[in-house]
Formats: sequence, C-alpha cells, structure tokens
Amino acid sequence: MCDQTFVAVTFGPCDSCSKASPLMNIYIKNEPINYCSFCVEMMACQGLQKGETLASLKRECDNLKKKLEEERGKLNDVELHQVAEKTEVLGALSVKTRRVLKGHGNKVLCMDWCKDRRRLVSSSQDGKVIVWDAFTLNKEHGITLPCTWVMACAYAPSGCAVACGGLDNKCSVVPLSLDKTENLAAKKKSVAMHTNYVSGCTFTNSDMQLLTCSGDGTCALWDVESGQLLQSFHGHTADVLSLDLAPSETGNTFVSGGCDKKANVWDMRSGQNIQSFESHESDINCVKYYPSGDAFASASDDATCRFYDLRADREVAVYQKDSIIFGASTVDFSLSGRLLFAGYNDYTINAWDVLKGTRVSVLFGHENRISRVRVSPDGTALCSASWDNTLRIWA
Amino acid sequence: MCSSNSVVQAQKLVDQLRVEASMERIKISLTAADLVQYCQDHRRSDPLLTGIAASSNPFKDKKTCVLL
Repeated sequence: MCDQTFVAVTFGPCDSCSKASPLMNIYIKNEPINYCSFCVEMMACQGLQKGETLASLKRECDNLKKKLEEERGKLNDVELHQVAEKTEVLGALSVKTRRVLKGHGNKVLCMDWCKDRRRLVSSSQDGKVIVWDAFTLNKEHGITLPCTWVMACAYAPSGCAVACGGLDNKCSVVPLSLDKTENLAAKKKSVAMHTNYVSGCTFTNSDMQLLTCSGDGTCALWDVESGQLLQSFHGHTADVLSLDLAPSETGNTFVSGGCDKKANVWDMRSGQNIQSFESHESDINCVKYYPSGDAFASASDDATCRFYDLRADREVAVYQKDSIIFGASTVDFSLSGRLLFAGYNDYTINAWDVLKGTRVSVLFGHENRISRVRVSPDGTALCSASWDNTLRIWA
Repeated sequence: MCSSNSVVQAQKLVDQLRVEASMERIKISLTAADLVQYCQDHRRSDPLLTGIAASSNPFKDKKTCVLL
C-alpha cells in the first residue's frame, strides 16, 4: 500500500503494532497518537462506512466542492461596491509621518500597540525587542533574545507583559518591570513550543492565554502560566503566516492565513475549522478582522488584498491595481472599517476605501519593505514597521 | 485537492467539506448592507477618516509658540 511521504518527527515503536518505524504524529479527539503509517491506513480503512472506497470518497469530495461553489454563487446577488454607491466618496487623506522611531539595528519585523494607545512593542531581525513610548520616542524597555528573526510580538492586554517569538520555534512571555535596572531577558518564560518558526502571536482577551501560528502549519492556544497546550488547530497544508482574533463581541473564533493560499476561520474551543477561503493566487501574508467581526481582509504576495464576508461565506472585494506589482505584506482597518491600510514590498502603504474598492491615498516615506501596519487602539494614528530599521507613526 | 492516495487524507477532507457545506449562508445584498451600515455608524469616531484637530491629536504638532 503506497502512501504519501510525510515528515517524520519521531522514530520508534508504533503504539499499535510495536514495530520500530518512522511515526506519524496524529491527533484523535485531541489525544496525540504515534502510529506507523501502515497502522494509520489500517485504522482509516476500518473507519470506512460500508460501501466506501477511496474512489468513492474522492467522488464525494469533488461533489461537495462543487456544491459549495454553487451555494456560494447563489448568494452573489450584488457587489459590495454597488451596495456602497450611495456612500460619500472619500477625499485624499491628510495623513503624514509624525514620528520616526529609530533604534533598531536591523529590519523591524513586527509591532503591536498597547491598549493605553501610546506604548508599542516592536521586534527585529537582530533579536531585539523594544518597548517605546510613541508620544515621546522614549525607549522604555529593551530585551535581547538569543535568536534572530523575531517575527512575532504582541502586547498583553494589561500592558504588563509582551510576547515574542520567531526562529527559536518558541513564543516567550516577558513581564515588563518598572525597575529599569532589571534584566528583563532573565524573566523570560517560554510558553509556546512549535516544531518550526513562530510567525504570529496574540494574547486572547486576558494575559492568561496566548494564541500562536507557526511555520509548522499549525496554530495553537497556550496557557501562559503553565505553558500547557490547550488546543491545537490543524488544517493548513503549509506554513501559517498570520492570525487575528475576532473582536470580543463576536465570540471565540480566529482567522489564520498561510502559504497554502488559504484563509481559515477556527472555533477556539473545539479546534474545528469552520470556514475556509481560497481565492488568493499566492501566499497570504496577513489577515485582519473587520471591526464588526463579520468580515476580514487579507494581504498576499499576489499583490492584492481581498475582503471576505463571513456570513455570505465568500470574497466580496479585491483591492488591486495594474500599477501595484509587489506583494502586500500587512493590512489593518481604521476604527470604522472604512479604510484599509496595506503595506507593500515596494516600500509604500496604500489606503483603500473598503466599500468602494478604490485607492484613497498612498503613503510614502519608508526606504524598504513594510513588514507591519497597525492602527492605534483609539484610531488616531497608524504605525508602520519596515525593513529600513525604523517605525513611523502617521496621523 | 483530492489528489492524495491516502484514505486518511480523503476522509479528513470529506469530513471538513461536510462541515463547511452545512453552513447557513446569507445573501450578499443583506450582509453588504450591514457592512456599509457599520461604516456609516462609526465614521464620526474614526479620526483617520474624518481628521481631528491638532490640539486633540497627541501626535500632531501643536502650533509653535513665539517667545516675546
């Protein structure tokens, strides 16, 4: 019986037949099981209903896919920009650079605002994580991590800790102390352990739980205090590059996007993948929920950003221009959801009118790729992080 | 994609698609109207959209003061 080649993390006696062989690490009802590939196939064949064969499963798979397409097509009775025809046309934004945060010695890969609307944390390729006061440009804390490429950082809701992770395959939480002389790196606590780089992290509604996504193709929910894995989310077939938590009013879901060109919506409690969207033509670099929680946007290497409606279960807008040929790496909405800020690899940030699908403004200033854009919690400013080693605040 | 030969992969895919197919969907004319409504309801509280005075935006420079 031939099966797909798979990456075997472990080699040892199979839990079922006790023969030593490369083991597939799979989860049955969230319990990890280590079976050799032969036993996994046997178990699956025994699980087949009467009359099912591989061929019949494949046929059902194709039929279901067609049915999904049809169902989604039926709802496409009008375009978003048609519904938005009566809304006023937006004038160009009078937004310009108000602060330039210099201090990183290498590419800034990620940033996150604190809920107090003035502090932010940023992380860079040289392993440094800096907490800034954006009003005064004061660097409040600096943490040096032993790894390079700290691709993910997040501020805790309380403002008392930051999480960061990257090529070390871990996501660590560092409590921020008011004592400047304290060595923060010493208090660093490893929470998440993945088998590949950590590409994104965010705290859930409290400081107690951390959600991470990784190059190993999974997302995971961790308890910060004990480091225990609370839930894992399997379904992506390639690196997961980004995730975003649904705004608190709408409940326990989050969206993730990755190199398999898919954006998946997950139920945090059950680990179930509840919706999946595949319309991008290349890696999805960033996903972000619309402020109401009923939609989300994605940025991709195919130079487009797309807008997906969760209740209609389909893509409803594509933000693209022939003149934009470089990949988009990051997106964020303004407070009302009318504007979508997207950072691109051509060093610019484009502001799109979400409803009409047109570009409103282009923000120039950075001297290298934009890695992250984030609107401040009260909506007064936009912060952008770039490979030119700086962050900029636009207002 | 159903190109794998593995029964496990095919079963997982079929289960996943069954879950997705059973979802209740709403017409775009209704959902889009809600999205537009949300934007309109919140536009006044969106500083980047409407612009706010330099005096209330901590990032904008205040008018310079002249020393007499």
